[in-house]
This record gives sequence, structure tokens and C-alpha cells, in this order.
Amino acid sequence: MATLPKEQDVLAKAWGPHLNRMEGPRLDTGVEPDKIVPTHCCFCGQQCGINLKVKDNLVIGFEPRYDFPFNKGMLCPKGVKRYLQGGHPDRLTTALQRDPDAAAGFSPMAYDAAIARVASEIERIQSTYGPNAFGVLSGASLTTEKAYLMGKFARVCLKTKYIDYNGRLCMVSAGAANKKAFGIDRAANPWDDILKAEVVLIAGSNTAECSPITTNYVWQARENGGKVIVVDPRITPIARTADIFLPVKPGRDVALFNGILQLMIENDWIDHDFIEKNTTGFEAVAEHVAQWTPRRTAEVTGIAEKSIRAAAELWGTAKTSFLMHARGIEHHSHGVENCLSTINIVLASGRIGKPYCGYGTVVGQGNGQGGREHGQKCDQLPGWRDISNPAHREYIAGVWGVKPEEIPEAGVDCYEMMRKIDAGEIKGLLLICFNPKVSLPDNAFVTRALEKLEFFTVIDFFLSETAQYADIVLPGSLHEEDEGVVAQVEGRVIKINKAVDPPGDATQDWRVIQDIAKALGRSHGFTFESPREIFDELRVASKGGVADYYGITYEKIEAQNGVCWPCPTEDHPGTPRLFEPGSSNPIANGAGPFYFPDGNARFVVPAYRPPAEEVDESYPVILTTGRVVSQFLSGTQTRRIGPLVDQYPEPRVEIHPRLAQKYGIADGDWTTVESRRGTITLRAQVVTSIRPDTVFIPYHWPGRKSANQLTIAAQDPVSKIPEYKVCAVRLRKSEKPADDAETTAPDAARSDITRGGTDDVARTAVQQGR
Amino acid sequence: MARIGNMEFFLDPNRCIGCQSCVAACSECDTHRGHSMIHLQYVERTISVQTVPVVCMHCDSPTCAEVCPADAIKRTDDGVVQTARKPRCIACNNCVLACPFGVPKMQTEFSLMMKCDMCYDRSSVGLKPMCTSVCPSGALYYGTREEIEHLRPRSEPINTFQFGEQTITTKVNMMVPRDAGVQHVDVLSAMEESPVGNAAMLDSVFDDM
Amino acid sequence: MFGRVGSERVVGAAWGTLFTSILAILIVVGSRNLQHFDAALVGYTFAVLFATFAITYRYAMWLLRPPTKRYWNRGWQLFFSRRYFATNVVNWFRRVTADFALNRFIFKRNQSRGMAHFFIMWGCILAFAITFPLVFGWIHFETLPGDLNSYRTFVFGFATTSFKIHSAVAVLIFHGLVWSAFMVIAGVMLAMRRRMLDHGAAALQRFAEDFLPLVLLFAISITGLLLTASYTWMQGYGYDFLALLHAITVIFTLLYLPFGKFFHIFQRPAQLGVSFYKDVAAKEGMAACRRCQQEFAPLLQINDLIEVERELGYRYETDTPGVEHYQRICPACRRSMLGIAQGELWRNGGLGVGGGEWEKSNHLSPTPHPPRPTPHSPIRID
Repeated sequence: MATLPKEQDVLAKAWGPHLNRMEGPRLDTGVEPDKIVPTHCCFCGQQCGINLKVKDNLVIGFEPRYDFPFNKGMLCPKGVKRYLQGGHPDRLTTALQRDPDAAAGFSPMAYDAAIARVASEIERIQSTYGPNAFGVLSGASLTTEKAYLMGKFARVCLKTKYIDYNGRLCMVSAGAANKKAFGIDRAANPWDDILKAEVVLIAGSNTAECSPITTNYVWQARENGGKVIVVDPRITPIARTADIFLPVKPGRDVALFNGILQLMIENDWIDHDFIEKNTTGFEAVAEHVAQWTPRRTAEVTGIAEKSIRAAAELWGTAKTSFLMHARGIEHHSHGVENCLSTINIVLASGRIGKPYCGYGTVVGQGNGQGGREHGQKCDQLPGWRDISNPAHREYIAGVWGVKPEEIPEAGVDCYEMMRKIDAGEIKGLLLICFNPKVSLPDNAFVTRALEKLEFFTVIDFFLSETAQYADIVLPGSLHEEDEGVVAQVEGRVIKINKAVDPPGDATQDWRVIQDIAKALGRSHGFTFESPREIFDELRVASKGGVADYYGITYEKIEAQNGVCWPCPTEDHPGTPRLFEPGSSNPIANGAGPFYFPDGNARFVVPAYRPPAEEVDESYPVILTTGRVVSQFLSGTQTRRIGPLVDQYPEPRVEIHPRLAQKYGIADGDWTTVESRRGTITLRAQVVTSIRPDTVFIPYHWPGRKSANQLTIAAQDPVSKIPEYKVCAVRLRKSEKPADDAETTAPDAARSDITRGGTDDVARTAVQQGR
Repeated sequence: MARIGNMEFFLDPNRCIGCQSCVAACSECDTHRGHSMIHLQYVERTISVQTVPVVCMHCDSPTCAEVCPADAIKRTDDGVVQTARKPRCIACNNCVLACPFGVPKMQTEFSLMMKCDMCYDRSSVGLKPMCTSVCPSGALYYGTREEIEHLRPRSEPINTFQFGEQTITTKVNMMVPRDAGVQHVDVLSAMEESPVGNAAMLDSVFDDM
Repeated sequence: MFGRVGSERVVGAAWGTLFTSILAILIVVGSRNLQHFDAALVGYTFAVLFATFAITYRYAMWLLRPPTKRYWNRGWQLFFSRRYFATNVVNWFRRVTADFALNRFIFKRNQSRGMAHFFIMWGCILAFAITFPLVFGWIHFETLPGDLNSYRTFVFGFATTSFKIHSAVAVLIFHGLVWSAFMVIAGVMLAMRRRMLDHGAAALQRFAEDFLPLVLLFAISITGLLLTASYTWMQGYGYDFLALLHAITVIFTLLYLPFGKFFHIFQRPAQLGVSFYKDVAAKEGMAACRRCQQEFAPLLQINDLIEVERELGYRYETDTPGVEHYQRICPACRRSMLGIAQGELWRNGGLGVGGGEWEKSNHLSPTPHPPRPTPHSPIRID
């Protein structure tokens, strides 16, 4: 019965998002903190170090953590204001049950009763429809301990094959490509290798907004004489001063990188020796890319030929280089090929596995790396083991104390799970750390699927837009209310420290999961007393796998400011740079640097395929989506933090003036963007920093403002990542939506954009930057 | 008090990515908690994403202080120009209008000019100001001259600015290209120039569009 | 900086002498040729005379500073201008109530700061209103002839109201200084608390400027209260010593008045003048920025500021076409220009999209610059 108990606006009024601002002890400059807890930011995959100031079990502010080597005190605005997520009026402090008769749509209930209800519903559904009728959706912002526990809980306690996680929306394309080409899925280098790279190539990464701290590494490379190439359909802040800017038409990245490789081969800017000794498959790729002449590449990618040639020369002739990419090339129905095409130009250059010669994917979620290593993916077991590999199953079965055949087979990706819910195969769902109502493509379908669930329970600290559909909501814990490890962008495993206790009945997530197991009478294997105990089991479970954590301990993490996996033994220092001679590699065992039995990397032919939905006469404009710096993912946290909302209060549609003129749209005009799946009406932001054939909408908002009303659910056949970055839309000038409740005067916001505001007389008006 | 010692402030707006971390962190500082003093200026968003973080440059001879009819703006012995003294400031706005860098902010609500004071609660005890601590792009940096020379081999800090006939020297340094050979930043030269990066898009897209 | 200091001092001293003389004459006249002057208070009187001289001297010096002089003159000129006089008078009452009587703007800065200031200010005003007329002999009390139970109040020697000696009114009046002392102590405590706990204040405060005034006010209040305690409950125990101590604290404070934080008492009312200046100047027309064409400040103020800067020796004049004087550019544009000017240095030095050295050598010439942005100019589409 997973439908909304009340209208959306009633729920929003009761449960938020409301804005938390600096007040009380957070504004009082006379308050002395009780303690200062060194930990990390709760948001993106860079996991910046931060010190939290605590007073009376409340995080009242932060102090820069200068001693953490990755960020040296630096933070983005989300990190600065992250502390405002605690002590929040919207915080769930009791369990809730769906109650259409209650004014707020939900009524509080005792925690134990809620757990009992969840257990009885699981029992009922599984005994009626079979174990696979109950699914689990998890998230990559959980600590690695929790992620591990979720995988174990689904397979051992619930005995269901249906578990997947929201990392599926994040960087699985990169993961799959990395596995295919290198045999291992992790950034190949520490970020320090960016610093002295002659060329830094950034593809599909709005670095300045989505991984701001990385900016400093790029600028430092430039101070050291390096050049910067940026591939993006928009001139993002990192692209503004790039040496070469390649405004790729969304969905054409394979063509671009094949074209670059073709020029490299034609001009002999390749490392024959490296290709010969350390790779296989080059000939097939060389043969394939021969068709990508500069002219054809220009035609397909929409990039000026001279720029493509310039980029190929700069990349081809460099001595050192670093290539990084992010969701911009990964969120495609051919995301794996996109990533493979970038890997090919890295392998052809021979510049990997050496100082200042690097490659990496810029992780999006807080534990985007660690969350995809230990078994909450549908086809994976801890230590990056394969659920369909009998040896792997046997090892993990041993660790878990079950029979190998008791471990379910591989399930399906999270979007396919939605389809299975829609088809009636999955009847019940437990969801944690995921807000699919906002973050999955094609909102309307996701809503329809959720509404078909017989029983839906959510563990969360706020009543997210998805949790609003739940029958039972269990109050979980905030980042600062628990401890555990995460792996950040460099593959560095770091430690999150607990700063405060959860309020009221709110409970640490791993305890909630164990309480459910206990109520089901299946608590064997779910009697951990602390995250450390979970971690110790995880270490054993990962031992001998590719993602080997066995040698990592909490103490070592603290002593070294993080340990990069693989780390097979306790006296092993960890592996910051992969593919170096002698570095830990349980697969090749000395045969070569890469994680295949022969030690060679694989060139894989990346055939160009156009996006799933091409523009046509009825839908003539490309829509691409992405993020803004002040919001994070589906915004469950950041849309509740006042200063972050002030910075960018609502989504706008970015349009090039040439396109805007065609539709008679002026800056600030209400504009309707319509795809085959939905429509959205937002204000236009007319800017020359976007391709004239493309519009951009950031995706952090729900409901009427959700960009994912428009996006297409087409998925990469291998990685199953949805194609957020390309779909076809049409535009028209429009009127203010009837239910629009925007608070900012449009003219004020507009003048802010063009002039940055005349705030010489200080005012509280919105700094609507971009 | 003179713990600022050999620490200096270095500003490189060309590195700025407009993330507004500085704006967020500025309001966390104890001398002006809840009020952000730094300006994050969009140069002209329609045609460029260029942004400029503007902190007080702490002029050696501060125009703001000289034009203050109430004598409310004081410079400390270590060269930091402070927010207007609360008992004195008469909220006349002269400093706001006179500052060549556009720094002071008038808090009309409580009749007081407030401005960046280099987080004096921090810098006076040897800590880095908030904005320079968090800035992810290095546009705002605080450290010793040796550190900056080591970190920025292509850059040179200068502290002389030309506004028409007026030369202003400041405590805060601006980073310029070492090989450009400039002795000062001629601010009015910007009247001739457009924001960096505006033409790039149309120049780089395939011609047939 | 500008070598007029010598003559300024003479002018300041002249004003000081004038005001001190006037006060001296008033003391003589008001006390009916010192007939009602209490000789025991002579120390206080001289301290007040000195403070008057020093405050006037400093005030005059202050008014001679180019910016102050200009806004002082301009403020009065605009206040009395025929067109705005009626509005100004109305606004004057409004502002005196809100800003001076109620300290509303201070409360907005911070509640505890507002409370502290409010208590200290009204405590001091009350104390001054009682003490000075008594010290100068301007007010004295006499028993009514034939009615030993009633007092009559004399102001400047003229008889005014009378009241019963044991009435509530009498208790209220004769203990006026006690009430004021309590107010001041409460305010000082609040202020001290803030100064000791607040990290921001800790960084900025200095003893002589911020603590000494509080210490002095506290000392005056407590010694004054002890005097009352001494003669009310302790049969005058230690009264002479306490009286001396009290006198010392008061006299020291009077001498300190012109130099430290307390000078704001005299300076602050200028805020009123400034508000009229801003009111009127805004009505007289706004200056539009020479770069973005948007109005940003009263034209009068910009013109005055340019004059002040010239007097101070600044040279923000420029031959850049259409600008004339740098002050005619709005602060927002100044910030943009700073970024653009620095960014261009980097672009010429080899950085940046469309114009870097690398691109130049590869014939990637940028398209021409669009026209300088104005909010009203159409966006270039080509």
C-alpha cells in the first residue's frame, strides 16, 4: 500500500524540507565546544577531512582540518555548512507509520513495534510469494561496514537475490570499463600524480562544482607548467581557462576519443614499447578507429576540427599526463564504451602506472568507491568477488557460515528492480540511503512502481520524497552519529568518526538492520556490537579478493591518514598507485602490471553508438543534466540547509542565446521543457557557456522541479547506468506555473546573475549565481 | 597581536571557480559570525562563468578610513584595516563608495559598516583566515612568501594597483604571471576588456551548427 | 598628512576656550554668584571645565577633517533647506526616539549588546541629569518656611515645585543616583560578560579602549553606592574616605571622556545629520555607474566624496573615455574590473580559452570580443 498518505504539499509542510540556519549556539561566538572531532565530510567522493565542533551533543560548527593531506583544510560550501544537517527540525526521531488519517500523513510509533511490523511483513511476503519477492535497495553514501552488512543481510538473512544500490546511477560505467581494461576498478593513481602532469585531460567532469577540491590539483599542475584539456558541452568554471576546450555534443564521447586515438596513431604519438609489452588488443582497436578521421570526428562530435587536432597533439606528445572522467561520459546508454575509449588513449600513450602518469574516475558519492566493493551490488560478493564464481561463493559462504548453495544467484540492477516491482515480481522493498523518486530517470514510472508495492519500508534520517511512500519509516543515523570506513576517490580507505549520538529513537543503521534480523528470528551473523566488529569480518571476507582490505585496520588508517587498498597484510602500507612493478596484484602474480592472469591491459573496441534517443523534428533539442555546487544528489540533506538553498534556490534551464532567441525566450523567462516522458517549467538562464543545441537542468529537486521527469530510462547494456546525460526535448516560452511557490523576486535574482548583485548595501537576497 | 608575522594573503581571482565556499565559510568567523564579508562577484554571467572573490586588500593608506567622517575605521599595527568601530560608525556609506576595490558592506539594519578583517580572531593568533582555509581553487591563499614562491612558480605576487592617476599599495597580494613583467594591476584596463572565456563556445563548436 | 595641523589646533583651542568660558559663566550665574555652590564639589567642577575644553577642542579638530567638515556643513544645509525642512523635523523625532532613546540599531546587532548599552546609557544620563545641576549649584533644595516636612526645588535660583520630605517622590528623587548606579552596574556586567566570553570580541578588544570605560563606570557606581550605604546603614563609617574615592573615580572619568570610547557620546549624534544628508541626497538624484549604467548612489554624495578625496590628496581621476573619475564606477563593477584586469594579465601570459599562447601558435584565434556588457545591451547571438 505504498502510496502517498497525503498530498505532496501537506507532507512537505509537515516533514520538510525546512531550512536550518545558523542560530543559537551555532551563532553565539561565546560558546566553547565540548570537543572537536576529526572526521570527514558526509557528501561527495573526495571525502575531505573536517573537524566538527560539538557542544551538548550538537554539532555547532567546523574547524578546517589542515592536517588531512587530501584537502589540507579545503572544503566546498556543502562541506562548510554540512553541520546544519544536525539538530534539524525535520529530523526523524521516532519510527513512523503511514497514516492517512493523521494530519501529517504519518503517525509516530514505538521503535520495537515498527521493527516487529517490518519483520512480519517480510515474513508474510516471502512466505506467500517466495524469498525473491522482497527486495533491498541500498546506497553508496553508507560506510563500507554498512554496505557490507546490507549485502550480507539480503543474501543471508532475507535470502533474496534482489539487492542493488544507487551507485548504479553513479559510476558503474567506469567500473565496468575499468574491469574490462585493467581487471580492477579503482582510480589508478593518487591525486598527487595530477600535480606534475604535463597534460590534464578532464572529460565529462564539472570538477569545479562536483569535486571542487580537485580543482586545486589541476591548477597546481598548471602552475607547474601543465596544460588542461576539458571535454564538456558546457563551459564549466574548470573549462573557462582551459588551454583546449572541446564542447562535445552530448553522447558523442566515443567518437571524440576514437578520433583522438586515430590522430595519435596517424602521427605516431603512441608508445609502441608499452603497447607491445603490457597490452593486448591494440590492432583491433587501431583498425576500428581508422574510420574516425578528424573531419568525421568533427561532424559527429560537433567540435571544431582544429580543436580536436590540437587536443590530440597536446595529449599525444606529452611526457606525463592525467586523464580523469566523471558522470559526463558515464551516464550514457553506451557509458562503458565511452570510458573504454578514454582508457584506450591512456593505454596507447603508455602513460600509466608511473609517477605523474595517471588515470582515474572522479567518484561521485561519499562512499562511491567503497560502497561498490563489498557486495551490495546485485552480482557481487565482498572483496569484489563475483557472485557467479563458484570459488568466490565458497569462500564467502565460509566467512558467513552458510552453505555456498544458500547464497542466492545474481539479481538485477536497481532500475530493473523497479521494473520487477512494476511487473509484480517484487512485492516488498526495504530501502536505505537512496531517494529513487528524485534520482532515477523517468519519475512517473518510478512513482507508478513504488505505488504497486504491498509493503515498503525505508530507513532514513529525514522523510525523503521516496520515504513519503513508505508504510513504515525507521529512523536511521546521520553520518556524524556513527563510525566506520569509506574509500574516497583515490581508493584511500579513511575513517569516519562519531561526533554525536542519534536523537530520540533514531538508531545507527547497522543496528536497525540487525534488529530486523533479530525480529525475523534469523540473527545468526547479525550480532555485531560495533562497526569495528563488522569491519574485522569484512577484512576477512575481502581477503584474497581484488579489493583486499585484510591488512587495513582502524589504527593504521589513523596513523597513515588513510590506507589505499589493495592491502593484503597488516605490514603492507597499502597501494596508492596501481600497476607499478611489484605492487600488490593477486591476479597477475608478477606476470605484469594489470589485474589479469597474463598481467596485460586490454584494448577494447569501443564502437560508436548514438544516444538512445536522438533529436528529431518534434523534439529537436538535447537535454543534459547535472549538478550545482551547493546541492548534493537528490538533495535530501542539502535542500534542508538554508545557506546552501540560498546559493541556488531552484533549478533553472540553461540555454544558449542563439537557441533562446529561436523560441523568443529571454533570461529569466518561464520556459517549458518537454520530453516524451514529462514536462518541466522553470526559469531560463540564458548563457553563452552552453552548446547552442543543448539545454542543461540540474537534477537535485523533486516533484514539479525534477529534471528526471524528462530523462530517459535507457541503460547501458553492461553497466546498467541510465542515460541521464542525453535525451530529446522541445522548448517553449511559458507562464509561471500555478503552484509555483518561489520566494525570490525574479528581477532581483536576475540582476544577481548578470551583475553579481549590488550588495554594497548588505542584504539577504539570494546569490543566485549560476 | 603581531602573530600575523610573516604570513601573507595572496589572491588569484583567475583561479576562482565561483563555488562560494569562501562566502559560506566567511560567516563562520567569530569577528563577524553570521555575516559574510567576502564578495563573490559574477563578472557577467550571461557571457562567462568568470567570478571574482574580493576580500579587503588592507591598503597601506586606506581610502575608506580617510574619507570616514566619524574616524571609525582603524588600521592595526600589523596592517589590518578593521571593521568600523561600532560606537563611532554613523553609517554614512562613504567608505562603501570610496573603497577602490568595492569591499565594505553597509549593514543598514544596524547602522554599521562591516568589512573583511582578515578573520582577525584567527589571523591574530596565527591561524589562517576562513576563506583561505577552505578555498578549493587556491584563489585565496594565506601563507608565507616562501610557501607561495614554492607553490606557484609561474606566478608573482604584487601589491600595487593603479586607478587612473591614483596608485594604491596593499597588504594583500595579487598573483600575476611572472613572465608578464607587470609592476602593477591597472584596474581601469578592464574597461576595454570583456570577461575571459566568453567567445570560447562558438569558437570551438563544429562550424556547421 | 596635510600640514594644516598647526592652524587647526589654534581653531580647536579657541572653540574649547569659548565653550569652557560659557560653562564657567553659567555656573556663576546659575548658582547666584556661587551662593548655592557647594565648595566641597570644587574638584568636580574643575574636572568638568577641563573635560568641556578638551571635548570641544577635540570635536572642533574632528570637524576640521575634510570629510567631517563637508558632511557637517552639508548636513545642516540640507536639514534647514526649505524644501525638506518639514519632513526633516518629523524624521528627526522619529530617529531620536528609535536610535537614541531606544537604541534600536544596537539591539539589532546583538541582544545582549543592546541591553548592556541601554542600561549603561540611561543610567549615565540619569546620573548626569542629577549630579551636574547639583554640582554647579543650578539646583538646590530648601525647606519650606514654616513647614520643616517639605522641600522646595530651586532651579537656577528660581523656586519651582515642592514635595513632602518623607514622600515616595522624595525617596525616588534623593535616591536617584542609587537607581542610576544599579542600571549602570547591570549594563557593565552584561558588557563584561560578553567581552569575556565572546571570541570575536576577544580578538579585537583592547584594555584602554574597551575595558577601562567599563571599569570606570563600575568604580563610580560602586563607590557611589557605598557612600549611600555608609550614611544610611553604617552611621557614616568611612564616609570621608569613600567620598574621596568616589571623587577620584568620577574626576578620572571626566578627564578620560574626550580621549577614549566615551567620545562617541558627543560624536554619535552626527549620525542624525548623515541620515538627513542621505535622505535628501537620494531625492536629489542618483549617480549611474559609468560602466554598467545602473544607479548606485546619490549623485550629491559621489560629488562630495570626489571633492573630499581631492582635499585629502587622492587622485582617482582618469582619462579612460567616459569614466572621468574612478568614483563614478559602482562598487560591483569595481570588483568585476579587478577580476577582469587580473584575468587578462593571465590570458596574455598564456592562459585561458580563446587566446592562450598555445592556441595562438595553433592558429586558434578567438572570435572578436563582444561589446562591453551593459544590462541593457542585447546579447550577442552570432
